Amino acid sequence: MIRIVRFFQIAFCMQFILTALPVSAVDFTAAEKRKILRHGPWPLPATPDPSNRVSGNPAAVAFGRVLFFDTRLSTSGSVSCATCHRPDAGWTDGRARSRGQRAVDRNALSLFNLRFNRWFGWDGAQDSLWAQNLRPLLDRREMGIGAAGAARLVRADRSLSCHYRLVFGTAPGADDDRVFVDLGKALAAFLETLVTGRTPFDDFRDALAGNDAAGRARYPAAAKRGLRLFVGRGNCAFCHFGPAFTNGEFADAGVPHFAGPGRADPGRFGGIRKLRKSPYTLLGRFNDDPTRSTAVKTRHVRLAHSNFGEFRVPGLRNAALTGPYMHAGSLKTLADTIRHYSTLDEERLHAGGERILRRLDLSGREQADLVAFLDTLTEAESGPKVEVKSEDLFCR
Amino acid sequence: MIRRRLRGSAVAAAFALVLSAGSATACERLQDWAGARKIAGKTWTVWWLSEPAAIPVGAHFSVRFRLCGPPARQVRLGGWMPDHRHGMNYRPGVALAGRRGVAEGLLFHMPGRWQLILEIAGAAGREKLTAEAVLE
Ligand code: HEC
Ligand code: HEC
Ligand SMILES: [Cu+2]
Repeated sequence: MIRIVRFFQIAFCMQFILTALPVSAVDFTAAEKRKILRHGPWPLPATPDPSNRVSGNPAAVAFGRVLFFDTRLSTSGSVSCATCHRPDAGWTDGRARSRGQRAVDRNALSLFNLRFNRWFGWDGAQDSLWAQNLRPLLDRREMGIGAAGAARLVRADRSLSCHYRLVFGTAPGADDDRVFVDLGKALAAFLETLVTGRTPFDDFRDALAGNDAAGRARYPAAAKRGLRLFVGRGNCAFCHFGPAFTNGEFADAGVPHFAGPGRADPGRFGGIRKLRKSPYTLLGRFNDDPTRSTAVKTRHVRLAHSNFGEFRVPGLRNAALTGPYMHAGSLKTLADTIRHYSTLDEERLHAGGERILRRLDLSGREQADLVAFLDTLTEAESGPKVEVKSEDLFCR
Repeated sequence: MIRRRLRGSAVAAAFALVLSAGSATACERLQDWAGARKIAGKTWTVWWLSEPAAIPVGAHFSVRFRLCGPPARQVRLGGWMPDHRHGMNYRPGVALAGRRGVAEGLLFHMPGRWQLILEIAGAAGREKLTAEAVLE
């Protein structure tokens, strides 16, 4: 009897050791290691945006910060950028679909790491950060003040026109569109400063690169298992690729894209069409870079039927802070997003022909592991609190 | 930029073409095009080089190429990921001057196995040439 119990004890232990082995030893294979290293180092080197002549200019950063919190940029006088992008809520609003002066169809994107984006918005309808910043000012559902209204406000307000002069070297001129675009550029200078800090994943990644066993051991086992799924069987890293965990492009991740009853959100398809009609692109007269060195994407982007229902692959740094998720906020938690990938409807997804995502049928533990991994992409310390400095409110 | 520069040299290239009687010698010389890779087809052989030399994941790159074989009227470039069954999200622009060309605006947006595809058309017919690149 005792012997039998002993046998079971040993068998149990053996099984425990065997299942735990690939994890606690977590010796990633050479191929896995190479894939993991591609998600760093972090932070990335930052260069100014050549299409924006005030990118990186401290006075522009201060002006942009003032504009970001100014409700006078809305027709109702009650909505600012910060209404939907709250600094204390991961620069989103916590709603599924955002609401300014009226409700919009999409989830508010967070504002982290924008300077590394190739396209802006869920549909990539904008090819620069400064152009993206103009969109809510033009959309009546959001702020809607328009180019003329915004230019009038800046010309009339003593503090705003003082900021404008400090940044651009002249008083705001008579060309409404120029002044308007300059506001987008000052806002961009401010938003470019929002770069996420180091995370537990980064420490692990660098320990892996530097063969630092102690550093590697500090990373939780569950996160390691989740990471292995992320770069392996989950296929996640094909799209959520690189240091920012996005390849900067668009995909159909199998998320329903109804914007309302009988109305579909065309996603990237609509985004490219909007881009082509917009006067505020890198191919237009507001690009400050005479060589248009960053306009290659805009010149060569291709419109295809398969773009219908595609949305931008979001970066995953600080994702734990920015729920709800997906373009219309249809999923509440990170665990919900993993469940989504685990139970995907392949029939529907592969109609377009692309075959990357498949139904993963993950176990409960595997799902928890992936969430544990995503949690380690959250910065260890959030940066200094972002608020308008009082001296910036009264520029004279 | 490059398009304009090429157009300028198109005339010169055309002259060079007439002067080099057979293309065989010119093609042999291409062996020395440092770093260039070769794709041999039935009608055309292509030597190509990407810029940057290692094709990046998720960043634009360009391809310079030279053709061996009969004159070509048009060359188009594309990309294809056979395992995922999708191509590129960008349509490259190709500037062709005689047997030299530059394609700009390519972008391979995922790691993995890609095919770089060249479609060549001329009086001698059409041909599709494929090179493989594995991106990490
Ligand atoms: C009504 C709420 C609302 C307001 C007000 C608002 N935004 Fe947004 N913002 C959104 C939504 C929703 C999206 C996603 C839009 C889309 O994809 O169509 C977004 C996207 C963005 C993006 C793109 C981020 C990315 O990763 O591509 C930037 C940048 C941005 N907003 C900046 C601003 C600025 C600057 C202001 C003020 C001028 C502002 N927003 C005002 C809701 C809002
Ligand atoms: C084919 C490309 C692709 C693959 C593969 C992929 N994703 Fe995504 N992911 C996307 C796209 C596109 C979205 C946005 C979809 C939408 O809103 O409709 C997204 C959204 C997300 C989000 C929500 C982020 C946010 O801010 O809303 C998370 C989390 C996520 N993916 C994690 C994963 C994980 C984990 C895997 C692997 C199991 C994975 N993804 C595989 C393309 C992909
Ligand atoms: Cu692919």
